[in-house]
Amino acid sequence: MSLSQPKMSVAELKERHLAATDTLNNLKQRLNHTRRSLLDTDLAGYARSQGKSPVTFGPTDLVCCRTLQGHTGKVYSLDWTSERNRIVSASQDGRLIVWNALTRQKIHAIKLPCAWVMATAFSPTGQSITCGGLDSVCSIFNLNSATDKDGNLPVSRTLCGHKGYISSCQYVPDEDTHLITGSGDQTCVLWDITTGLKTSVFGGEFQSGHTADVLSISINESNSRMFASGSCDTTARLWDTRMASRAVRTFHGHEGDVNSVKLFPDGNRFGTGSEDGTCRLFDIRTGHQLQVYCQKHSDNETPPVTSITFSISGRLLFAGYTNGDCYVWDTLLAKVVLNLGSLQDSHEGRISCLGLAADGSALCTGSWDTNLKIWAFGGHRRMI
Amino acid sequence: MQSSGPESASPITNRVQSLSSAETRGKHRVHAEVKRLEQEARFLEEELEQLERMDKASAPCKETLSNVETRPDPLLPTTIGPLNPSWDRWFEGPQESKGCRCWIL
Repeated sequence: MSLSQPKMSVAELKERHLAATDTLNNLKQRLNHTRRSLLDTDLAGYARSQGKSPVTFGPTDLVCCRTLQGHTGKVYSLDWTSERNRIVSASQDGRLIVWNALTRQKIHAIKLPCAWVMATAFSPTGQSITCGGLDSVCSIFNLNSATDKDGNLPVSRTLCGHKGYISSCQYVPDEDTHLITGSGDQTCVLWDITTGLKTSVFGGEFQSGHTADVLSISINESNSRMFASGSCDTTARLWDTRMASRAVRTFHGHEGDVNSVKLFPDGNRFGTGSEDGTCRLFDIRTGHQLQVYCQKHSDNETPPVTSITFSISGRLLFAGYTNGDCYVWDTLLAKVVLNLGSLQDSHEGRISCLGLAADGSALCTGSWDTNLKIWAFGGHRRMI
Repeated sequence: MQSSGPESASPITNRVQSLSSAETRGKHRVHAEVKRLEQEARFLEEELEQLERMDKASAPCKETLSNVETRPDPLLPTTIGPLNPSWDRWFEGPQESKGCRCWIL
């Protein structure tokens, strides 16, 4: 079968390509300029103008109240259940562990078919967990199923189809039947777990999307049709699961890989953490970058941000860095109000993942030192 | 040059044909890339039009401030109520850090 010939000559095509590139660059510049003109303030400037002062912690307010020991390799990913106190963690040791964070007990220890796991998540009911990594597939485990003769939980479903590693995964809230993955193949996929098939592919060869590996995704709890993704192409994108053909919006600003994205608790904003050492807060409706969170560390460096999450009100932004710091930012005033990495009982290595308990009462950090730690407020609480 | 079937074509004819196919595939790639760029430009034009009518940043900043301050937060020293006693479960009972230390072999 022969290819049909395009009508243009090579020279005409090249000219059209040049013209299209010029038009695009011109539009990008105009967009940048118009956006900048609309940034009459940032969040910190606005909060200061309203007389807000930074959150202040006493020396024993936020403390490490549990250390979960058991992995024999770096911890790469963790997720809390949406109720009770369980956490699932994934490690370089090729295992998932399901913990009762309150008692520190290990409820399940799952030896994975592929040891190179990078991401894990709990299902909304807490009855299943999923994980994925360099094998490019998402494995689902039903925690209620019987173990095999070796004492291992069998894989109950495998989601195949990505052409690159799975960097992140999250179940769609309120249903154990769908999940979203982000991948090194530059796409995000919405899966139907019941059939094992892809419902939608976001980006990729035939559609507009990320132009480099997707490193992180975060689904909007208030509107589960919406999710954000972060990528090595330095952008974050917002997607509507009903429209896979293109992102709703692309957010520029970072100067390095976007390693972590997290929807803000009110569902109208999202945060990002990047290789460029900064975190940013973006507004979904307007597309504006509301705040940059950047501070040099004690060694005068700005190490990459590995992961972020917000406290349940959004007032605190937790950011883990490659140098072992875990800054607690006052989101409104863009000030670092605490460094969990400098507290007693802090991790001895990079913090690779973070997650907030469902009721917001505790933060879990996972580290390359093989441990997970639980942090909670043990001081005197004042009610307004 | 003869233009018989591929089985009887000379190596030189094959090479010329494959070069021409490579050129055609190259043109298709550039064509697809041009289409992608032009579509991207249309998206950006739409975004520019939306921006003309968009609120300034102070509007979402005000909204953010308001939303943050109306939600009880167990990790803040000062927060609006109601406070929930279960937030303090992490400090109830024995907290000694040597819990289950079994190593997964």
